[in-house]
Amino acid sequence: MKADEVLTAHHDVLRGLLRDLAETTADELERREQLRDRLLRELEIHTQIEDELFYPAVVDVSPLLSLAHAEHRQIDDQLATVMRTAPDDPEFVVEVRMLEKTLRHHTMEEEQRMFPQSHALGAERLEELGRQLEDRQRELTRSGGMRLMIRLKRAVLRLV
Amino acid sequence: MTVRAVFERVLRAVERWEVLDAPSYPVEHGVSLTFLLTGRYARPLQDVLHGVWLGHPLHPALVTVPIGSWTTALVLDVLDATGRGGAGARPAARTAVRVGVAGAVASAATGLTDWQHAHDQARRVGLVHAGLNSGALALYTWSLADRARGRAARARVTAATGYAITLGSAWLGGALTYRHGMGTDHAARSYEPRRFTDVAAAADLRDGDPLPVDVDGMPVVLVASGDTVHAVGGRCPHQAGPLGEGWLHRGELVCPWHGSRFDLATGEPTQGPSTAPLPCFDARIRDGRVEVRRRADWRTPTAVTAIQEASR
Repeated sequence: MKADEVLTAHHDVLRGLLRDLAETTADELERREQLRDRLLRELEIHTQIEDELFYPAVVDVSPLLSLAHAEHRQIDDQLATVMRTAPDDPEFVVEVRMLEKTLRHHTMEEEQRMFPQSHALGAERLEELGRQLEDRQRELTRSGGMRLMIRLKRAVLRLV
Repeated sequence: MTVRAVFERVLRAVERWEVLDAPSYPVEHGVSLTFLLTGRYARPLQDVLHGVWLGHPLHPALVTVPIGSWTTALVLDVLDATGRGGAGARPAARTAVRVGVAGAVASAATGLTDWQHAHDQARRVGLVHAGLNSGALALYTWSLADRARGRAARARVTAATGYAITLGSAWLGGALTYRHGMGTDHAARSYEPRRFTDVAAAADLRDGDPLPVDVDGMPVVLVASGDTVHAVGGRCPHQAGPLGEGWLHRGELVCPWHGSRFDLATGEPTQGPSTAPLPCFDARIRDGRVEVRRRADWRTPTAVTAIQEASR
């Protein structure tokens, strides 16, 4: 798969998780917790593979990197708010919907603007980059360090 | 080479210095993490530092404290060194340096908060500006320690060096505002349209979904909620982000770039980084069409008043 296809597939996972989370009701607290934790993990992995591999690769063909970073920041801040909100809080869904809209804008920006710009790299380079992204994504999913980092982040965000 | 040419050359070099991008994102992550650790106070704290409560950025107002205090200290140091200051000059200089150091720490906090949202060239210039100011702050702190130990001559030299660095760095800070437009109002300000102008079909409005439209080349966002239609400027005052691509959260319009939030009825920012309000428009629906008119908050000689409009 090409780099943009790998990332779009992962965007679908993220959008799906957020949709599922927004559709849960206040009496599915356990499911809310599970989906939220999975979302935290996937978002962390997604940000990392984009920051580490994709953005540096497209730095010469896309002028949108600063915006992408700004949007990651906004997603990160809103994710912190979602982590801080108790799953039985009536505001929980409101904050999840805000995160959903923030993420939807960012993925739209990438899929409709940045990814077409990245095609200037050529099919071969995009295939190679796609392989690297998939490998790194798999690696991070299994990585104990990543799991520890996420657990730490979750604990800190809930604490404050 | 003229002074102007020297500064110009430095500015161009810093703007193109892409090496700075490598440390700049980790620095931002550090700043972001520090704010996140304050939990629910993260946003209010950043809004205070941005100057949302003040109506314009707090940083340029606050930097007058260290620059003013250190200028005072410089004058007192010169008087003291030349023996014309009397007994009071030395302790007074020490107090002035101390006030300047406190002001510089507060200025750094506001500056970093604004810098988080700078892009590309402005981001690089901001980082160098911050680095130079940190150097100056370190020199003044050293000078303060020397003053306490009675090493007056060395304290005066470090302070004077810090002063020169501060002035150079202030030039870069000025470039951030006057060249890069950091902290200035980027919203489209105009008196037009003075009369109600057709912008969209009422059927295109979706409740709670911002609709971007165009009035004579100026972006405007329409938001319908219930029976009312709100119309506000479509360019974020902070850095001209496209508010038409934004969304609503608790009834407020959110900028998709840096998350500023705006009250739809008044245009006022309810959350930074934007410190300026959005321009507002009067909106009405006539014959299935949405019409907007610039809301006149004061009467200009050529403005069309509501009474004139009604009698047309």
